[in-house]
Amino acid sequence: MMLANYLTAIILIVLGLFCVITKKDLIKIVLGLGITDYGINLFIVSLGFNEGGTSPQFAMSEIMHGAYFVDPVPQALTLTSIVIGACVDAMALAFVVMLYRHYGTTDSTKIRRLHG
Amino acid sequence: MSHIHFPVVAVMSMFVGGFLIAIFGAKRRKLSQGIALVTMLFADVLVYSLFSPVILHGEVISYWMGGWKPVEGYAIGIGYEVDQLSLFFAMLICFVLTMSMIYSIRYLEKDSALDHYYTLNLMLGGALLGIVMTGDIFNMFIMIEIMTFTAAALTAFRNHKAISVEAGFKYLVLGSVGSGFILSGVAVLYGVAHTLNMAQLSTVLSQNYNPSTIFAFALMFSGYALKSFLMPFHTPVPDAYSAAPASIGMLHSGSLNKCGIYALIRLTYILFRVMGLPAVQTMMVLIGAVTMFVGVTMALAQHDFKRLLAFHSISQMGYVVTAIGLGTAIGLTGGLFHAINHSMFKGLLFLCAGAVYYAAGTTDLDRLGGLSRKMPWTTCCFIVGAFSISGIPPFNGFASKWMIYQATYQKAVTTGNIGYALVTVIAVVVSVMTLASFIKVTQAVFFGQERPQLSAVREVPALMRVPMVIMSLICVLFGTCYNLVNDFLLYPAVYATLNTHGYVDAMMGKNYAAASGMPFVKYEPVQFSFWNPVTWLVLFVIVLLAVFVVMMTGESDRGRVLANKGEEADGKFATFFSGEKSLPSHVGGSDLFWGFKKDFKKYFKVVQGIHSGIVNDYVLYAVCGLAFITVFMFVFVLGR
Repeated sequence: MMLANYLTAIILIVLGLFCVITKKDLIKIVLGLGITDYGINLFIVSLGFNEGGTSPQFAMSEIMHGAYFVDPVPQALTLTSIVIGACVDAMALAFVVMLYRHYGTTDSTKIRRLHG
Repeated sequence: MSHIHFPVVAVMSMFVGGFLIAIFGAKRRKLSQGIALVTMLFADVLVYSLFSPVILHGEVISYWMGGWKPVEGYAIGIGYEVDQLSLFFAMLICFVLTMSMIYSIRYLEKDSALDHYYTLNLMLGGALLGIVMTGDIFNMFIMIEIMTFTAAALTAFRNHKAISVEAGFKYLVLGSVGSGFILSGVAVLYGVAHTLNMAQLSTVLSQNYNPSTIFAFALMFSGYALKSFLMPFHTPVPDAYSAAPASIGMLHSGSLNKCGIYALIRLTYILFRVMGLPAVQTMMVLIGAVTMFVGVTMALAQHDFKRLLAFHSISQMGYVVTAIGLGTAIGLTGGLFHAINHSMFKGLLFLCAGAVYYAAGTTDLDRLGGLSRKMPWTTCCFIVGAFSISGIPPFNGFASKWMIYQATYQKAVTTGNIGYALVTVIAVVVSVMTLASFIKVTQAVFFGQERPQLSAVREVPALMRVPMVIMSLICVLFGTCYNLVNDFLLYPAVYATLNTHGYVDAMMGKNYAAASGMPFVKYEPVQFSFWNPVTWLVLFVIVLLAVFVVMMTGESDRGRVLANKGEEADGKFATFFSGEKSLPSHVGGSDLFWGFKKDFKKYFKVVQGIHSGIVNDYVLYAVCGLAFITVFMFVFVLGR
């Protein structure tokens, strides 16, 4: 069952990078970055899953050896990573809007005043 | 004992200061500047007061957020840990940030939205300090991510210019691809080791090489290499540095890529301890050598002052990585010394470029000339910086570059591998080309004839000159008092890097490292020996011969270029002999090495074509770099 998650994560990452490399439209580039991010997030959250584990919420007195629960750390990491990813996407889209105002296009092959 | 709180308070105060400016600073320029300066000085005091306990007394500060100490040898909470290597970089970053902030008071007086600038600037500073002071690898990723997007926003600060926004977008896209690499690497590491604490990871991963850990290493190495902008990942650098305001270009070049270098050192020397493997050494030296060569040749072809400096920045980072990649104590010392020197002279050069922009309104080399009479202070500071970066004694660049030549040559002798001697030769050649390209800048901007449209230029205000003068004094000081620098900065940092028992024990409890079977490395301090007169004389003769040969070839060229249609011979384009008879003619930046560029026309066509300016291509290079590093590691480390 976890194998499906890992495969999906890898497919998403590769698809996202493929999109960033081949698509010439700036908005599609930003979308590609987002898809890569989702793939990584899926990968991290799958890492912490234990088949048949309980939710990792215990009172101080309930913690004992041999308790079997889902690893909470990757979930915390994923939440942080989602927030950061959202910030980056928002900022990249803001840049795209400004680039459209300056250049009148969102074609990445035309936005190359700095080169060589 | 209160000083164990200093690192985390320093990081937090920067963020708090940033948010205070965001709340209260709108439309109040003086208030924004005041809060920013006070916060920065506060962080400076906290960081520099750690000098005595950490560097002089050798204490390693460990701090657990919320007091969550390790349980049964497993780290639970997020830890901050400051050893000598961290403090070395933290002091460097604090110095560069302070200089940049003092400079921007007058430099940005014509810009609006200063509250945004200072908010982002303080957040960037907090993130940089966080990167070097944290002991948690995921925390480091978050700080790197904050660094990336604040840096992208600051790059696009003058967003009424199209090129600034373009550069910011490229920087952001490449940066988040790099962050993706790092995050995947961290995830794989967590899957293997079930911990995120660097001290504990280092005991788990040491000598433990299997496909998962090596893949994680390749991912994180590529990510950190992107953050320090090494060769296939360097593409957004020239755009970002040239389009950003000079005070931000200085931060980019003086502290951001140093954080990448810090992360690389942590990764290779402390987390994975792979520097004993010849394959990893070969890889890092290869990347470093290619980086320094391509960087400097691209710089020779540039027309813009700041863009030229950006390519030199890439090239100098190549030196640092080459030296670090040797895996020897002298190499590491030279690398760290060059890192700190690079921050000083490249920061100084960016400030000079900013001063030229402030006074003349452009940084295009073909539209400048003869500023030395108008701007004597800037000219002097620029010449100090140019001599330092070209490695001319007694400035600081010479001391560190000489150590790097020595380290690579020594490596060639001890391993018997002729490739390392070749790297020494490349390093010397690159240094000569650096000098050539700075001769071009000095001639094009400061000397030569004054252009009539620049007659109204005035020297920059005193508040902008202060950071420039301080940094040039440090350039001279580090070049002459290298032994003091070695004793009080380099030796402790190198010791902490090579000898990680202290780092692990301070975090995880006494004898944790020894119990987990980590090897102990004995390390003797490196003796400086670059004033050895014989070797120095040999180098001098070689350089003299090189200059002589170049000048002779230049003379044979003299006048041939334009004299073919029965005109009078005109030496304007002859190498080293250029100059026209008619008076109102300025030998511009493009004219000086015209012959050289013509001879290597094919090479320049290829490398300039690679820097196409299309963001898709740049991401493709980054992914190819990742693929190369991964394949290399799997073939030569696992396949042994």
